[in-house]
Amino acid sequence: MSVITETAVAPARERRRSGRGVWYPYLLIAPTMITLVLVSLVPFVYAIYLSFHKAKYGRVGDFIGFDNYAKLLADPQFWNSLKVAGLFVGIAVPIEFMIGLGGALILNAGVRGRSVLVPLLFIPTMMAPVVVGLLWKIMLAGSWGLISYNLLERFGWLGDQSIFASPDLALYALMFVDIWQWSPFMMLAFFAGLQALPLGPYRAAAVDGASTLRVFFKITLPMMIPLLAVIGLLRLIDAFKVFDTIFILTGGGPGVATQSPSVLAYKMTFEFWNIGEASALAVLVWAAFFVFCNVFYQIAKKKLNAF
Amino acid sequence: MNANKTSLLWTTVAVLYALVLLFPVLWMATMMVKPADVMFARPTEFLFTPTLANFDYVIAEGFAWNLLTSFVLCTVSTVLVVLIGTPAAYAFARFEMKGKDDLFLFILASRMGPPVCLVIPFYLIFTKVGLLDTFAGLTLAYMTFNLSFYVWVLRSFCRDLPVELEEAAALEGWSRPQIFMRVVFPLLRNGIVATAVLCFIFAWNEFLFAFMLGGDRIQTLPVAIPKLITAQGVRWGEVAVVGIVALLPVLAVVLLLQRHIVRGLTLGAVKG
Repeated sequence: MSVITETAVAPARERRRSGRGVWYPYLLIAPTMITLVLVSLVPFVYAIYLSFHKAKYGRVGDFIGFDNYAKLLADPQFWNSLKVAGLFVGIAVPIEFMIGLGGALILNAGVRGRSVLVPLLFIPTMMAPVVVGLLWKIMLAGSWGLISYNLLERFGWLGDQSIFASPDLALYALMFVDIWQWSPFMMLAFFAGLQALPLGPYRAAAVDGASTLRVFFKITLPMMIPLLAVIGLLRLIDAFKVFDTIFILTGGGPGVATQSPSVLAYKMTFEFWNIGEASALAVLVWAAFFVFCNVFYQIAKKKLNAF
Repeated sequence: MNANKTSLLWTTVAVLYALVLLFPVLWMATMMVKPADVMFARPTEFLFTPTLANFDYVIAEGFAWNLLTSFVLCTVSTVLVVLIGTPAAYAFARFEMKGKDDLFLFILASRMGPPVCLVIPFYLIFTKVGLLDTFAGLTLAYMTFNLSFYVWVLRSFCRDLPVELEEAAALEGWSRPQIFMRVVFPLLRNGIVATAVLCFIFAWNEFLFAFMLGGDRIQTLPVAIPKLITAQGVRWGEVAVVGIVALLPVLAVVLLLQRHIVRGLTLGAVKG
């Protein structure tokens, strides 16, 4: 880690003359820290405060201890939302991971015209989720969507029902959209990782005449594991908080079939104005995220030497 | 010879994948100039006489104003992020501080927290202090994810700079602000631009904050799209126009920034 110690940067003379040198880095981070306390810590603390109070319709009432949490844990909708998110993350992310890794290996195996392909592959990832939602509505919604009509409706596979209105299929349709949007990102991130691997071990393996599979499992995979873990974890965190595309495509429905914790918190707040309980949910989700976040940080820092 | 064949095979696979992947986007692009009556014709019409009617409606509905709102909001919030965040990123990369790891984790947590958890307290606080549906309020709210993102990623760019230059400047007797402005800043310019442009895109694409904390007077482009869902049904041609317009900055970015996108989206964990 490259760190300039105090002595290296500040000429000793200056340091002795004034104590200002020690404060320099704190001065530099002060505006950022103040802003973040304001826009991140204050809302968080306020959410904790709300979660311990009776709060409905924007009026904050009495302190009620853990009542909101108790109510939340007794709410089948809460457990349903965890199930939805669990399924979503548990199915979509591994598929994105496999497509990503496979694609990265293919890209790395001498695909031509990568300078044109790579930017194109970024497009789904960088698109606004709202536009992604509308795009897939055009493709899959109703019996009129381009794909749902031509591939499903025409062959009588779907009847008149929209995929997004089907209690059984809606969640899988959302996974499909997520996979469409994020597989290319995984691919390009893994590809960047592959490109950065040292060539030495591969030369040695070539001299030994090792098979492609053997090279992959004995050289590529072990070297890639921290990177795979970090990117997988990052995607996991992002997939868990998915909101926009669900909001646009199904609104959490039909019923509660696609109601992820984010959508549930949204509905509790802005449809039922159940602010106390929604805050309790927010605090729990936040706490869980903090744990994931920490794991991401530790792996990236220690194994990838990234931070 | 054999290597050539495999390369050709994989190139074909990759090109096919890209085509399938981007087909929906291309289809949406054709919908921009599609007349309403063939939009979802059965069977699907692939040939049609192009029309500009969709553009007329979008302009008449005042979408230019939404476009301008989005642009100004994203620009202002990004510029603020750069001004506030650049010194912090540098400090985190170069200096030892007490509790640095904890502070840094706090920044990461600000970035990672689900927006929906933030929007609840924001909404209530903003209502109280009169920031709801104001430019200042949304700018502030965007700081939560963009400032933390910016500091986190730019720090990784800072760490790539050779320390020796700064040490040499220090030995010359330059003051620290001088070292930052005259040595660090010029070297860091590319990293700053790349990270800032990603911040701009995140703000550009953002929906939930813009929807709940703005929405009426301050109406960004993504939030304005539901205006096209009318009592007579969804105006899909117009949705396509707005969607593709919203996509244009993204296209510019993927073309210009490709090397840096991976680094940005992995929060600096992977160098593109």
